[in-house]
Amino acid sequence: MKQRSVYTIIAPILILLVWLISSKLNMVSSLFLPSPEKVAIEFFRLITLSEGNLLIDFLITAIRVFAAFIAACTLGIPVGLLMGYFKKVYDSLEFVVEFFRAIPPTALFPLFLLFFGIGDLAKISIAFWGGFLIVIINSMYGIKNANKLRIKAAVIMKASKVSLFTKVILPEAMPQIMAGMRTALSLTLILIVVVEMFIGTSVGLGHRIINAQLVYETSEMYSAIIMAGLLGFFLNKMFMILERRFVHWSGK
Amino acid sequence: MIQIDNITKVFQDPKTEVLDRINLHIKEGEFISIFGPNGCGKTTLLYIIAGVVAPTQGSVLINDSHPRKSDVGFIFQNYSEALFPWRSVIKNVEFGMETRNIDKRKRRKIAESLLKKTNLFKYKDRYIYQLSGGMKQLTAICRALAYNPGVLLLDEPFSSLDYSIARKMEMELLRIWEETKKTTILVSHNADEAVLLADRVIVLSERPARIKGIVDVELPRPRNLDMLFSREFFETRNKVLRLFGR
Repeated sequence: MKQRSVYTIIAPILILLVWLISSKLNMVSSLFLPSPEKVAIEFFRLITLSEGNLLIDFLITAIRVFAAFIAACTLGIPVGLLMGYFKKVYDSLEFVVEFFRAIPPTALFPLFLLFFGIGDLAKISIAFWGGFLIVIINSMYGIKNANKLRIKAAVIMKASKVSLFTKVILPEAMPQIMAGMRTALSLTLILIVVVEMFIGTSVGLGHRIINAQLVYETSEMYSAIIMAGLLGFFLNKMFMILERRFVHWSGK
Repeated sequence: MIQIDNITKVFQDPKTEVLDRINLHIKEGEFISIFGPNGCGKTTLLYIIAGVVAPTQGSVLINDSHPRKSDVGFIFQNYSEALFPWRSVIKNVEFGMETRNIDKRKRRKIAESLLKKTNLFKYKDRYIYQLSGGMKQLTAICRALAYNPGVLLLDEPFSSLDYSIARKMEMELLRIWEETKKTTILVSHNADEAVLLADRVIVLSERPARIKGIVDVELPRPRNLDMLFSREFFETRNKVLRLFGR
């Protein structure tokens, strides 16, 4: 354990060193890449401000991501389960789902703007859409790939249709459903940040990044980027803890 | 009692004849081994007896009723894939009782007593992936016995265990059989195992499997591993192998 923790900090230290050296030697214009200490100072200034605090942007972005993610899961999982379990549902929806999945959600910005305006609803809807399709596909394949031998074992033990689904097929699908949810979580974060850059808002990490760039406040821009990275990192870590708890058998 | 009449199985797509007119009468409490080459259709025959695969022709009756209406305990070769990894050992054993709506307290009691008899009790709260191969298969046997089925079907249950564990498990199975006297069918591609455990060994041919012959095993009960070196064992096994190789 101890040895591993030493290795985990080597790469971050190296990156910081390269950054430090290149700014000290003026290899890159300080306008584009301010020194690490400058960014650190700016970062701490921004999270202690009484007005325009970076943590507010962090929070708003996180709330938008959660809203989109929860909606994607509550609607996507049932649809995926139905598609995976009932051949008829699969046959009627498979083409549509595959087709929409082939369209990058970002290509649908204008369409969502038309329908939902430029408020939070539009932003969350776009992110929801991207996550929704991923959750559907993964839940569907989770059901379809359920181990046939276990199903046979349960049938021999006289499991009814309902208990076969709830006690065997659903747990079988859980690892893949959760893997889909994790991918959807990352994608909703990406989409929310991108959308915040381009669709009118006054708060949010994407908005903060693009605004700082427009006025050449690069230290602020890096601070907001780091904040976005932290958000993604913590969301992923949290989800991994949930996964280990709920699908503890996965990969064993 | 199991009555197998003229069972023929042909799989479509690609058309494969697997079983060819199998006739067999198995008495109540009898221990039967089915011995045959790999891929000859032994597993399919067990699935038909268990009622999860329909025969193309012929019929199976377990105590005069259709297999799907009778309780059957099935032990798979691939124990890791057949047990439920999201359930603990004891919850696996309880599964067949849950589907029969046996109440929780009774379920727990039956499962605990089975686990005690097989020395698995102290692992009852472990998950399946935390067990060794032998313990997994023992859990699978407990799971199959828990709802007290009339018939026990075993599909090469010990073939993926190493030699000494497999012999130990065979003795464990015999002990359970002596105690419960369940009608048992063991599919095996190990002649020693087939002979040592059974009252009769059914020798099957290559695909499509026909019954090549039936060898009675006259070894006394209860059996033990020392019998592997006895003259009677040797002669019976050679009879089986000669029939098999013909």
